[in-house]
Amino acid sequence: MGDYKLFDKTAEFGNGFIIAFVHQSQLLYFVLFLPKMLQQSYLLFGILAVGILSQINLFILSKSMSYMDSKQGYNGFAKLFGHRNLRIIAFAGIAVILIKLCFIVLGYAEIVHQFIFPSMQPSWLFLFIMLICTYIASQGMEKTLRFGIIAFFCTFWMILLYIPYFVPPGADVLDLYPLIPAGRDEHPWKGMLMIWSSLSGPEYIILALPWINPKQKALTYLSIANGISVFLYIVLFMACLFFFGTPYLGKISYPVLNMIRYLQTPVFERIEIVMISMQMFQYVFLASFLLLSLYGAIRISACSVHKETGRKGLYGVSFFVLVCLFLIDQFFGRQGKELNGWTNLQLWSGTLTYLLIPSLLLVANIRRRRRSSH
Amino acid sequence: MFWNKRIQKIRHEKKNGNELFQKNEDLSLESLKAMISNMDDGESIEHSISRNRKITIVYIKTLIDLERLNESIIQPVKNCSEEMIHTCLSSEKIVAVTTLDNAQKLMMQGHVLIYDDKGHLWAVPLENPLARSVEESQSETILYGPKDSFTEQIDQNITLLRRRLPLTELKTEKFSAGYLTKTKVVMLYVEGIANPDIVDIARKKISKINFDMIIEQSNLAAFMEDHIHSVFPQFQQTDRPDQCAYSLGLGKIVILVANTPFALIAPITFFHLFQSPEDYIHRWIVASFLRSLRYVSYMVSILLIPLYVALTTHHYHIIPLQILFVLLESRSKLPFSPFWEGLLMLFVLEIIKEASLRMPNKTSTTLGTIAGIVIGQAAVEAGFVSKILIVLVGVAAVASFLVPNYLLSKTNTLIQFAYLILASFLGIPGIVLGLIHMLAHLNGLTSLKQPYFSPIAPLYWRDWMDFFFRAPIPWMKKRPKQADALFKWRYNRGDG
Repeated sequence: MGDYKLFDKTAEFGNGFIIAFVHQSQLLYFVLFLPKMLQQSYLLFGILAVGILSQINLFILSKSMSYMDSKQGYNGFAKLFGHRNLRIIAFAGIAVILIKLCFIVLGYAEIVHQFIFPSMQPSWLFLFIMLICTYIASQGMEKTLRFGIIAFFCTFWMILLYIPYFVPPGADVLDLYPLIPAGRDEHPWKGMLMIWSSLSGPEYIILALPWINPKQKALTYLSIANGISVFLYIVLFMACLFFFGTPYLGKISYPVLNMIRYLQTPVFERIEIVMISMQMFQYVFLASFLLLSLYGAIRISACSVHKETGRKGLYGVSFFVLVCLFLIDQFFGRQGKELNGWTNLQLWSGTLTYLLIPSLLLVANIRRRRRSSH
Repeated sequence: MFWNKRIQKIRHEKKNGNELFQKNEDLSLESLKAMISNMDDGESIEHSISRNRKITIVYIKTLIDLERLNESIIQPVKNCSEEMIHTCLSSEKIVAVTTLDNAQKLMMQGHVLIYDDKGHLWAVPLENPLARSVEESQSETILYGPKDSFTEQIDQNITLLRRRLPLTELKTEKFSAGYLTKTKVVMLYVEGIANPDIVDIARKKISKINFDMIIEQSNLAAFMEDHIHSVFPQFQQTDRPDQCAYSLGLGKIVILVANTPFALIAPITFFHLFQSPEDYIHRWIVASFLRSLRYVSYMVSILLIPLYVALTTHHYHIIPLQILFVLLESRSKLPFSPFWEGLLMLFVLEIIKEASLRMPNKTSTTLGTIAGIVIGQAAVEAGFVSKILIVLVGVAAVASFLVPNYLLSKTNTLIQFAYLILASFLGIPGIVLGLIHMLAHLNGLTSLKQPYFSPIAPLYWRDWMDFFFRAPIPWMKKRPKQADALFKWRYNRGDG
């Protein structure tokens, strides 16, 4: 057991990892039904505006990252916040990470349930996903983060499947009108909030900070990843507008996936089955990363951070998450809606973490620098 | 308590294992003779030499060159009037032996022991080379390129490498592995290019081997691998000196094992197992195409049958209507489900593959015909399997032969069976689960502590020059990052 170290560090990750991580954390479950929530074509500008806001947030995040002594890992954070405060933050982090983790697994299981196995109990999927996540997480944080690059390569090509939707006669530029709103929207903030929450996720990179090479320009690569994500959001929304049109878009569930159903090749039909299956790479990677982060947060809260990490602890956390998944599914799930009470909780949780974490880190860093200069 | 006792017992046995054949007796004529007692090929001859002195020559006749014994030792010694007999011998490699243990070791390596009446013992090397000539590689044949391959003679193999890399920096470190076999193991690396940390890891791993027998290179690899439970080989095994020389030049380590014509190369990645020496002979575009074909074939060989099972069991709606009609017609009278049908066929295929390997060459051709035509056609006509599955199994089997590494191609079967089970339970998501597991496993592997799944994870852009595609050789200006070579540039940046 002595050799088993989950948070060991033998290598540093470069720019490719930052792009892969941020991009994958921004393109999760919400993107699949975001066009339905946005519906109006002028909200293309909304995506762009929130993308720019997200860029400002990433600038703050990169500033905080550059101030931090990332090599020290836990001790670096402890210096920044103090041991007691860090334990409190970690305790709050348990809830946030748990919500995100459950949301990822539940969201994916819901998609598989709707599109591939409607008669299958989602509980089986929870079990399989958690088993594979535990396997990946048990290899340690370094290898889990490295798996993110594999997940990126296995999923990024899927955007190419949407190219046919931009080709006439299916695509008509009139479907993109009106680009300026004709009247007042009842809940203009809701769509924007959803975009913001969808773009959340890069803030979790601070949990991987000790494994990131501090010499590289993080902002450049964070910006590239954010740019790619915003571009993809716009592409997907435009594709949905071309294919379904504004009036029908609000009535279809998971429009991003549903439109792929209509693609046909001489060898395969229903390509969305393959696509959804391959997306498992992305969901499993983030779930494994969050599983390890959850384990880490529990260890910090329980003041056992200096004790050796063990398989039993990780398995215990996995089992705990599995139980949570069953319970949430029992009380919130299977309502047939994308936005149920549970996903609404993640919507707000994602919004708040993306808004607060970079700012909190920046403020803490500035305070610490001021204190040390006095 | 039970475990503690058990561990103590194992430790005790391990400790004593090293000393099992150690001789603690004093060096004397009796002890030398006792050494060859009950050995039919062990001989001791007494000779009288000048000044009324006597010498005893002890040797194993099956290990030495008997023709040279008379002219190199007996004749010179007979007329020797010197005080120290060894001065009369022309051989420059005479060793003065002081312990019985050493005497035994040298004798078993093909030395002749000369014991004089004053109690001095010398060992003269007279080993019978017993070597076959350098021949063409049987396991990795190429059309255009060097035709020589390693033999069982380790010194000859080193010569083949030294001729390709005439450098004093090409270091050869000798080890002995296996306390019964005392197998000679030689580690080669180019000093100044190979990373000393990796060399040190390999050195420590070989030195730590405490086992009775190391018969061939795979035995050694088993002790040196970082992950012994993995199905994937973490050392490349080759009998081609050109490939070893190329790897040495890139900063890798080559390990030669006596009495085997195969060398081990490390550190490697999973993707090295798809590379062939021919890749560097073809034009780069052709080589890139052939290499990518190998990757595709590997995926086809492990995924085709599980995909068939997934589609026919869970996802009929993926298949276009025209193909679906053909499939339904083909499967309409079958008594088995797609899973059992696939499992049966894969099982039969593996039996045929294994049987053809064990058969003599001439018989295996007949076996192939019987298996391919008789069993295949008869199975379809009997209604056990569908025609489509026969085609798919054939394609998957042929695709598996494209993988140049034999050890890797053998892992296909296990992976196929695992995917088959997953496909029957969960369809395509099940296969993807299997893929995730496989890639996560590969991501976790290391070869001499270097990442096994690079240049994807970790992302080494530099190494993509020689990865899925093979870039033109002049473009490959740097050594692969994965080998962590000390000197990364491949071209000489000095004035010369």
